[in-house]
Amino acid sequence: MTSIVVETPLQTAERALALAGAAADEVQVTVVRERSLMSRFARSAPTQATEVADTSVEILVARDGHTALASTNRLGDDELRVTARRADAAARAAAAGAPGTYPGLAEPAAAPAHDGYDDATAELDPARAGAALRATFAVAAAHGLEAFGAWTAGAVRTAIASSAGARLEEEVTDGFMKVVCRDASGRSGYAAATAAAAGQIDPAAVAARAASKVTSAPPAELGPGSYPVVLEPEAVGILLEFLGALAFNGLSHAEGRGALSDRLGTLVAAPAIDLADAPRSACTLSRGFDFEGVPKQELALIADGVAQAVVHDRRSAVLAGGDARSTGHAIAPGGSPQGPFPTNLVLRGGAAADAAELCAPIERGIYVTRLWYVNPVREKETLLTGMTREGTFLIEDGEIARPLRDVRFTDSVLRLLSATEALTADRRLVSGGEFYGRRFAHGVLCPGLRADGLRVTGATT
Amino acid sequence: MLALLTDVLSRAPARCSYAEARHVATDEEELLVRNGRVDSIDSTSADGVGVRVRAGGGWGFAATREATRAGVEATLRRALAIAESQPAAPAGPLAAVPPARGHWSCAHERDPFDVSLEDKLELLFAAEQALRGDPRIVRSDATCASRRVRTAFASTDGAACTQERVECGAAIAVVALQGEELQVRTYPGAHGGSAACAGWEHVLGFDLVANAPRIAAEAIELLSAPECPAGRRTVILGGEQLALQIHESIGHALELDRMLLMEAAYAGTSWVQPHDLGTLRYGSEQLNITADATLRGGLGTFGWDDEGVAAARTPLIEAGVLRAALSDRGSAAQIGLERSGGCARADGFARQPIVRMTNVSIEPGDAGTLDDLVADTGDGLYLETNRSWSIDDRRLHFQFATEIAREIRGGELGRLLRNASYAGVTPQFWSGLDAVCSASDWRLWGLGNCGKGEPGQVMRVSHGSAPARLRDVQVGVA
Repeated sequence: MTSIVVETPLQTAERALALAGAAADEVQVTVVRERSLMSRFARSAPTQATEVADTSVEILVARDGHTALASTNRLGDDELRVTARRADAAARAAAAGAPGTYPGLAEPAAAPAHDGYDDATAELDPARAGAALRATFAVAAAHGLEAFGAWTAGAVRTAIASSAGARLEEEVTDGFMKVVCRDASGRSGYAAATAAAAGQIDPAAVAARAASKVTSAPPAELGPGSYPVVLEPEAVGILLEFLGALAFNGLSHAEGRGALSDRLGTLVAAPAIDLADAPRSACTLSRGFDFEGVPKQELALIADGVAQAVVHDRRSAVLAGGDARSTGHAIAPGGSPQGPFPTNLVLRGGAAADAAELCAPIERGIYVTRLWYVNPVREKETLLTGMTREGTFLIEDGEIARPLRDVRFTDSVLRLLSATEALTADRRLVSGGEFYGRRFAHGVLCPGLRADGLRVTGATT
Repeated sequence: MLALLTDVLSRAPARCSYAEARHVATDEEELLVRNGRVDSIDSTSADGVGVRVRAGGGWGFAATREATRAGVEATLRRALAIAESQPAAPAGPLAAVPPARGHWSCAHERDPFDVSLEDKLELLFAAEQALRGDPRIVRSDATCASRRVRTAFASTDGAACTQERVECGAAIAVVALQGEELQVRTYPGAHGGSAACAGWEHVLGFDLVANAPRIAAEAIELLSAPECPAGRRTVILGGEQLALQIHESIGHALELDRMLLMEAAYAGTSWVQPHDLGTLRYGSEQLNITADATLRGGLGTFGWDDEGVAAARTPLIEAGVLRAALSDRGSAAQIGLERSGGCARADGFARQPIVRMTNVSIEPGDAGTLDDLVADTGDGLYLETNRSWSIDDRRLHFQFATEIAREIRGGELGRLLRNASYAGVTPQFWSGLDAVCSASDWRLWGLGNCGKGEPGQVMRVSHGSAPARLRDVQVGVA
């Protein structure tokens, strides 16, 4: 086994490509090196602290329109050869049937520069996590509350080397903090912050925002029905994430399953809605290229309420036909069976100064801080269901009047966007800070919004 | 590897009051045939070591892919540094545990990794082909997945054990489309093909090829089926849907870390409190729920959990009354239990153990077969195969949708209904349980996508269930 001292991910990718070259003709090697810290807390005390250091090598072999992917985190020459042979054997097995539709590896292309990396964040100093927790606990204590939440930071370097000549490498960083403040009776408030640079997150400010949502008034209850609603950016963001998967996925669109199939060029939202995938927009978690090595395009998805485009990887573009091309949205080497997804959604802000201005015209409605356990009910209708959580209020006579028991909504995202009446000028980068499997930080930059007729179908007791 | 872990831990600094190390080596393979072609063949082979330590009351966990002495020693140092960087916290006790020693492996007949790619693809092609034929089927999938996990675990409490598990599963799925109407149908289940801790014989037992025409025909029929009407109805839930209902409204609600607010900022809390143990009426007298990590074939079956606690069978709810919770060493000790419930599980080497379900199952009843239960139900709905799911952060208010519903009239299954959904509040819903089918209709359902923890962990669990009848359920909510 070759002794590995210090090797960059691109160097590892090139070494793996050379080792795989003997086994197959058309090969892409993707190397992802993750380093991350996560500190969790509950009841104003630390509970779990996690550091992860891992590097994965994914070898994609393409043959006769088929692909096969083999992965490992064992970086020795022998292990990489075995992994390459595994990918090649699988590609041969796949190619034994009907020809596939994979168009081949992407041509080499330079990835645009971006500002998604921060040196200080990449240092991953655990003392920074400790300081964030101490600051949070102090704010909660000052309000007579307990703090719950997590602080995390990560640095992920991705490299691609392919037999087509691609040589790409970039490192991105991310920071995320969320705080739930809770009183003895269980009333709670939520706030969070996301940034490419962890230093831009002010733990005390996040905690103070969460604490401000905890009020002692008894909660009101609302029965099923339709209500005017003001959604904070965290609630808007999760709806847009689902819309990205259900409406802008080029694969489901091409198969006719997408929410916008046969609707591009038509009015699908209020004229105030401008939604884009903007991977190099300021304040997003920027990226230069996707997992096929295709530069990520800035793409208008909805302009003035009119559906404009869907995102593609190389496979979905072939299926779509015509002049469709990859827009740089592959989420896996060779394209995922789930299709491509937007990863940097940006919703343009409006004219409202703040959430209070959004509430002002509402006689009786709902104010939502965040949504929870959202899932599709009927995908093509963008019909979702989910619960409100940690900061739901009753709006009466234009103002937030008192807390509201959490409610279940069952409504269509496109219907809500069509019923959108106003947006705040300020926007926040929001994310759930969820990192299942390989760390892939992503978020939505969006304002708060007011919409008419949120469909409430139930409530907690 | 076990000797290396044991040796490194034996040299842990004195300020480290507890330490454990896990080496996990995972092999995975997934095949997908879609619309007449091989869509993807993915395989992964990875390993690494995770070290968890306790120092000064704080916990630290670090993970590395460098499964060498130098790598494990460095990871132990990093775990300690992380623990010591946290704000000071009181050191709560850990429930005592006899040292885990020995080796455990799950029973299986044919290792799925010994089955050739060609043989697997032949099965998937045959099943997928049997799904196609109607132009309204816009997507047809046949998939199978295999997994092998080898674990070595050592702790400063004397644990030194190894385990090996083999899992596999398979599924077929279709999407039917007509105008704006889209319907889906899957078999044997909607969540990961009902995998099991078993060999390839488990996949062959599904008989995917024989079931494919029925699945495709039902999807087509759903396109023009009447909408499931709203109202309060008697429903019979099929086994797979009941399994998810148990998972969401009982399993998660009985995780002790949630009750103790440790997951309040992410997974959520629970409507159940620790002081409810032994007294709370969770449902009707027909409700008997057991957590059993010794069950043959379960995805939640093991020799020891990831804290070295031996697998156990624990009644959680007996005749509708809450008896126990799912716990790990820390949460058990926090409420004064002498023993952990043995529910600490971790997703791979790079995640630390947290409280998870094992195999949480409803015990069989005495209602006979599904046909018997339908015959005993004059008027109602039969709901089968999950399509949508959501529940609040206290595990109280839920809403589910299923792929199909069938009317029950005069004790017989009738016409198909589309877009069925139901909602409820956990204790009221379970109080309406009045019949559970017998052992002949009871089987394990594997769920491969249970998310919890930060960084996120995907856990694989099984639930044993049989079709069951519930009265006065709100349906047609979506």
